[in-house]
Amino acid sequence: MPLSAQPPGSAEPYLLTASLDNARHLSSLLRAVHFQDHATCFATVNGLRVTVEDAKCVQANAFIQAEIFQEFAVQEQTVTFRINLSVLLDCLTIFGTSSLPGTSTALRMCYRGYGYPLMLFLEEGGVVTVCKINTQEPEDLLDFDFCSTKVVNKIILQSEGLRKAFAELDMTSEVMQITMSPDKPYFRLSTFGNAGSAHLDYSKDSDLIEAFHCNQTQTNRYKISLLKPSTKALALSCKVSIRTDAQGFLSLQYMIRNEDGQICFVEYYCCPDENITEEM
Amino acid sequence: MKCVIGGAHLRVFGRAIHAIARISDEFWFDPLEKGLALRSVNSSRSAYAYVFFSSMFFQHYCWTALPQPRQKEKQLSPPCKVIIKSVLPVFRCVNVLERNVEKCSIYTNINDHHITFQLLCKHGVVKTYNLTFQECDPLQAVFAKHMCPNVLKVHSRLLADIVIHFPTSQEEVTLSVTPMKVCFKSYTEEDTDFSKTMLTEVQLNPDEFDYFQVGVDSEVTFCLKELRGLLAFSEATSVPVSIHFDISGKPVAFSIEDLVLEASFILATLSDIEKETTSQQPPSFTPWQESLETHTEKAGNASMDKDSSTQANASKKPQRNGKTPSAEPAKPASPLVKQERKVIPGATEGDTTGVEGTTTAHAALAGESHYEKFHSLFFGAVSCKEDAVSHTFHSLATASDSEEDFGNVPSSPVV
Repeated sequence: MPLSAQPPGSAEPYLLTASLDNARHLSSLLRAVHFQDHATCFATVNGLRVTVEDAKCVQANAFIQAEIFQEFAVQEQTVTFRINLSVLLDCLTIFGTSSLPGTSTALRMCYRGYGYPLMLFLEEGGVVTVCKINTQEPEDLLDFDFCSTKVVNKIILQSEGLRKAFAELDMTSEVMQITMSPDKPYFRLSTFGNAGSAHLDYSKDSDLIEAFHCNQTQTNRYKISLLKPSTKALALSCKVSIRTDAQGFLSLQYMIRNEDGQICFVEYYCCPDENITEEM
Repeated sequence: MKCVIGGAHLRVFGRAIHAIARISDEFWFDPLEKGLALRSVNSSRSAYAYVFFSSMFFQHYCWTALPQPRQKEKQLSPPCKVIIKSVLPVFRCVNVLERNVEKCSIYTNINDHHITFQLLCKHGVVKTYNLTFQECDPLQAVFAKHMCPNVLKVHSRLLADIVIHFPTSQEEVTLSVTPMKVCFKSYTEEDTDFSKTMLTEVQLNPDEFDYFQVGVDSEVTFCLKELRGLLAFSEATSVPVSIHFDISGKPVAFSIEDLVLEASFILATLSDIEKETTSQQPPSFTPWQESLETHTEKAGNASMDKDSSTQANASKKPQRNGKTPSAEPAKPASPLVKQERKVIPGATEGDTTGVEGTTTAHAALAGESHYEKFHSLFFGAVSCKEDAVSHTFHSLATASDSEEDFGNVPSSPVV
């Protein structure tokens, strides 16, 4: 049920207005990056990007492109604000998180600009909720500068192949080691926990691997506590691309199909714990 | 040692690990010439699990004797103690194991103190787990199944169907037999508020059992949780379960055996001693000394066994004499035992006449000492002294570990 546009008689237009018939299209993606309380939102004509960072080592981005929304309008080139993501998610799911078929929460989002709160109008079954969430000064974010020319190794996997592995990760291990190589073991995830080490090897011929482009043998370690939150994104996704650059920075890109079959992306970037390049 | 477990048997192996996990957090991984033995004992020594997979269970089994000149006994491949929590993830979803895993290889590297489990899964995925183990002394319980007057043999499905009626919170269950009937019922302590308790009782006819032998009427109470693991395991193997037991206080053994594997879960049973006045020593030791002594004397042929039981006797005697004469643990058999177990629902707490017939002890004390006796030592611990415990323990274990005896200790098949 579309809600009325800008309130009549308001002097300033909203910098950002967006309407969504099913708020879950937004909330499920935001949950996939919700490992910190605060997030920075960027709205451009292309859509919405929500970024969460931790320890200056890991960054997660959720992209909801403009086409997903029923209405998406920005009055400036980029509209940026920082917001409490936990509160935002609580509001988006205010009518409950269980997804009954046929019922969905409609959303209208409005942002007047710097210093103004983010307004959310949510409706389900004739009940309307209005939320105003205070916004904050946007923080400087890391730029991992991961473009395709800098990628050394890249593997595209079906998510189901990694899901169990990530769910069963030995959390007593401080690091997760990722080895990517044109030679055996091709693609290996390793943990070193209290009981011993565990290795998960994927053969490059595995039918779980959709694309295998490894030029160089690289072994990098990442703090497992930083990567563990990506399990949420993995659970929602159908495919994941794993890329590393020359410094061992890791990029995980998750392709997520929403309830209506539309495709959205979530990205995780992570700094290596130590940089070990071994000849295997 | 190196072995390979093929697809279908993986589920059985995984279930065995899970069953052992219900006993304790760690288990003994003991590769032997004829096969692989897994053993576990719980911290209170009231439950012992033993699973043996013969070399035929594996697609491939290779055991090499390592020269161990410093050891007197012919223990060639020392057993390893592994923390079970580290192994459980390997066999996490037993039901899907078969579907996803083609085979599992296990290697032990003694020098490195590592056990490696390598699972070859579908889609070209290989999972490798390198787990550390500690070398340890051998573990073995000595229990003469063939000396038990009561033997029941039943398909695990029937047992599972019985056990399912007991709520998962039910800790202990009593198995009561007479030549006419068999009854499984929930066990409650003296001070249980019956108005808030659900009691379950399942009665069975002797002809429901594949084999039924009741030499002495008895009621044995044991821990249900430990049994559930074995039931899940035996369902995977579809081998009938044999139950060997005696009177209350003596251990009960649940075992399964087929061509390629055998398993025994030996559980301590509650002893009906409420005449125990005070405990000059932990009451827990008392009934067990008796039962164990009996078994060790009769069970082993090796001289070591005799020595240990002699030792056991020697160290025990002073204590036994020291106790009040009324605290005679070995109850004269059937009629008394049967009487005592009539727990009348609705009976008030103070009413001990209907419950536990002959008592000189107060209900409260009885309840308390009951509970302590249940969690009692059941191996070689025969005195209060720590040293004596470990010493006897070792000697029992070592004796049974020599090659000849190994064949004798897992008891002969029932019928």
